[in-house]
Amino acid sequence: MVRSLLLACALVPALLAATAPSQKVFPYSYDQHDFPNGLRLITIPTDFPNVVSVFIVVQTGSRNEVEPGKSGFAHLFEHMMFRGTKDNPPEKYQGILKEAGAASNAFTSDDLTAYHTTFSKEDLDTILRLEADRFEHLEYSPAILKTESLAVLGEYNKNSASPVQKLYEVLRDTAFDKSTYKHTTMGYLKDVQDMPQQYEYSKKFFDRYYRPEYTTIIVAGDVKPANVQSQVAKYWGDWKRGSYKAEIPVEPAQKGPRSNHVNWPSATLPWMVIAYKVPAYSDTVKDMAALDLIGFLGFSENSNLYQRLVIQDQLVDYLEGGYENHVDPYLFTAMARVKKPKDMKTVEESILETFHGFKDTLVSQDRLEEVKKHLRYSFAMEMDNSEAIAGTVARFVALRRSPDTINKMYEMYDKVTPEDIQAVAKKYFAENGRTIVTLTGAEK
Amino acid sequence: MRALAVLLLSVAGLAFAADEPAVVTLPNSNPIVTFRFVFRTGAAADPKSKEGAAALTAAMLSEGGTKELTYKQVIEKMFPMAASVNSQVDKEMTTFSGSTHRDNLEAYYKVFRSMVLDPGWRPEDFERVRQDAINYLKVSLRGSNDEELGKEVLYDQIYQGTRYGHENVGTISALEKMTIADLQAFYKTHYTQRNLIIGLAGGFPVGFADRVKKDFEGKMAVGVKEDLEPLDVKKIEGRQVTMVEKQTRSVAYSIGFPIDVRRGDPDFLALLVTEAYLGQHRNSTGLLYQRMRELRGLNYGDYVYIEYFPQGMYRFEPAPNLGRISQIFQIWIRPVEPPTAEFALRLAMFELDKLVNKGLDEESFERTRSFLQKYTNLLMKTNDAELGYLIDSKYYGIPDYRSYVQNGLAKLTLADVNRAIKKHLQTENLDIVVVAQGCEALKKKLVNGEPSPMTYNSPKPEEVMAEDKTVASYPLKIKEDNVKIVPVDEVFQ
Repeated sequence: MVRSLLLACALVPALLAATAPSQKVFPYSYDQHDFPNGLRLITIPTDFPNVVSVFIVVQTGSRNEVEPGKSGFAHLFEHMMFRGTKDNPPEKYQGILKEAGAASNAFTSDDLTAYHTTFSKEDLDTILRLEADRFEHLEYSPAILKTESLAVLGEYNKNSASPVQKLYEVLRDTAFDKSTYKHTTMGYLKDVQDMPQQYEYSKKFFDRYYRPEYTTIIVAGDVKPANVQSQVAKYWGDWKRGSYKAEIPVEPAQKGPRSNHVNWPSATLPWMVIAYKVPAYSDTVKDMAALDLIGFLGFSENSNLYQRLVIQDQLVDYLEGGYENHVDPYLFTAMARVKKPKDMKTVEESILETFHGFKDTLVSQDRLEEVKKHLRYSFAMEMDNSEAIAGTVARFVALRRSPDTINKMYEMYDKVTPEDIQAVAKKYFAENGRTIVTLTGAEK
Repeated sequence: MRALAVLLLSVAGLAFAADEPAVVTLPNSNPIVTFRFVFRTGAAADPKSKEGAAALTAAMLSEGGTKELTYKQVIEKMFPMAASVNSQVDKEMTTFSGSTHRDNLEAYYKVFRSMVLDPGWRPEDFERVRQDAINYLKVSLRGSNDEELGKEVLYDQIYQGTRYGHENVGTISALEKMTIADLQAFYKTHYTQRNLIIGLAGGFPVGFADRVKKDFEGKMAVGVKEDLEPLDVKKIEGRQVTMVEKQTRSVAYSIGFPIDVRRGDPDFLALLVTEAYLGQHRNSTGLLYQRMRELRGLNYGDYVYIEYFPQGMYRFEPAPNLGRISQIFQIWIRPVEPPTAEFALRLAMFELDKLVNKGLDEESFERTRSFLQKYTNLLMKTNDAELGYLIDSKYYGIPDYRSYVQNGLAKLTLADVNRAIKKHLQTENLDIVVVAQGCEALKKKLVNGEPSPMTYNSPKPEEVMAEDKTVASYPLKIKEDNVKIVPVDEVFQ
């Protein structure tokens, strides 16, 4: 009963607002606070009772792996962060989490490393204390690094059974020359195998990036901002600011179409990915919003291409396309799994025609409005628990360090016109910026 | 008030007696409305040589058109609402689920209802979903996820010869011969009022649940009581090994045996504590994770389940509505480097042996119990999950899952747990599935019983080195006759 009442009072107006174009799409009010050392805290009280979710986002990912031979290090570091401190060795840390019944994990992507824990509200103080301790006082020996790097190799092995992993590895390597997006977050196998020898570098990596100015703490759930702020000040206030700024290489303009092929050693259906270079995430320039909309117009279940290739002609059993937000210029990709090798060419031509179609013909206003509606409902429906809310904010914090960018992005979607779609397509879907990678399996 | 009524209903376990659909509701003011319609039927009801009929029938409903709408039109209607209907087929339960914003409730429900009640049975939809099913088995499961492959082969092995003895999606040979008429027959027999549980959660209007129930009453056959007789699971004699030969970098293991314990049984919570102690999926506090990964760097993780948990690669927690009358105890060893393959298997078996012989100590018990008391709250973090668990509680005839676990754990003692371990767990008679390249060579090593000493890239504590000596010569007791090697393109055939 208490839950229903609370939801009735607060959640309903908030989520209803999310679906009306003139309103802010991020429905929660939040408190954003910057500490003197550069640490940022975003507290989002929600009406989901008892549970609290903490996401700690470090703005470093495989993008920050600038030195040769060091790919995969941000991800390795995510693993190392579970290796304890003097006051809280791993057994103690795990024991406390276990008694708290907490669900705790972490992930790394191109642009961020995030540590997340979801637990009952009475344990917030404990969790903030434990987390501060490992961010400030992580301690591990060369032997521990050697052991943990084998777990990373185990993760590589687990993933290596999938042809899609390989397809993406080769796509990035082919499409980029200088950008650190050239390698995947997992890193090159040779670098993963060399990790046990890289103790000194690992310390350097921690010293550079695990600093308050790179870090944002997101606390969502059954909390009060003032209390959270004083708890964070107590445990994180003395953390020392760093000075390192990574020189991320700038990708030179691509000068012609590229292609590559993967011979997969065992049986699989053929895969193909067609990619175009596109700019970095922006909530002030319309281009990225228009590209997001093109992803849905061109390649979602409701697109003409999907209807033709998957439902009608049944040449393809998987089709997806779009742009994933990135700090630096990245790729707009369209990927397909083709049922018969003989249809590869037809599928490739159909995908290319779809890209060209946006340049040649204006999309209808109705279609565009449908996609905008889809995006708003889809976002509103994602926010169905505190962990999902904190997790969504974490993705955007990696880009702009504030949930406000979500609202700006959705305001931008609203402004995109059919003419914008055409202009953006003409600007980016050019042969010079294109890379095509195919993968075929061994004959049975 | 309505939430309370639901709870009392589920406690009374009324669902299975009536001829009409059962209704489980979780009303609140959330503007998202969640649908979970569960039919108490599934792959276990596949007719002989029609393995996959249950899964294809569900796919025809959730990924095909209705009498009135083509699949294209279904998608066109759903897209602006950002909604869909998803199906999940397990042995005893078939679930259709989806969510919609309250703004779109009527429009969504109209399509949802016609998808379940008035499927279109179009040949072009049939061809597409059938090909998808074949490719799932042939390409995705055989070819791109060794962990899931190992787990599903393990289930096939343990349940061979029973109605649980094939992958839920079916067998390739049966799918190739399936017809639309087979699916229509399955639909007519098993999609019945008696089998249906209507689940609704969120901010639907007063009277909506009654209306939905009325809409479904009389639109399908009343149905007969489905076969829930015990399964005649063959007794495993010794340590049986199935090796799946395929091109791969590493070696994945799934180890298990059937247990006669399900939710609601007296020893379920004792085994749940044991599972959490040995290691729940993605939980780094588990014993196997600590001993195999953290201490020795053997792989990415090692876990235990006492209930079916598909898609573990992609999920943190198991999905609800996978209720079964028979479950297995299972150890999941994520892929290891080939040179450590024997040692890793020995270590897992050694730890299980130790557990069976010594049980948990007081501190581990208290800590694990405390973990589960709170962790259970997190399983219910969405309306959808809470609704799913409530339906499962109806299936198993227990109170809502949270109270069941939390109240039961409060009364549980260390002695209960250790007695249940002795009663239900063992290491002598079990199935081991290995996914590897070069199975013949690995087989020789596993069978000859010679020690497999472990070497590391860094110094280890004395305690570990001493334990390794014991583990390296742990008797695997695998007889040559008990090992079979299967090429990957023969599994699920």
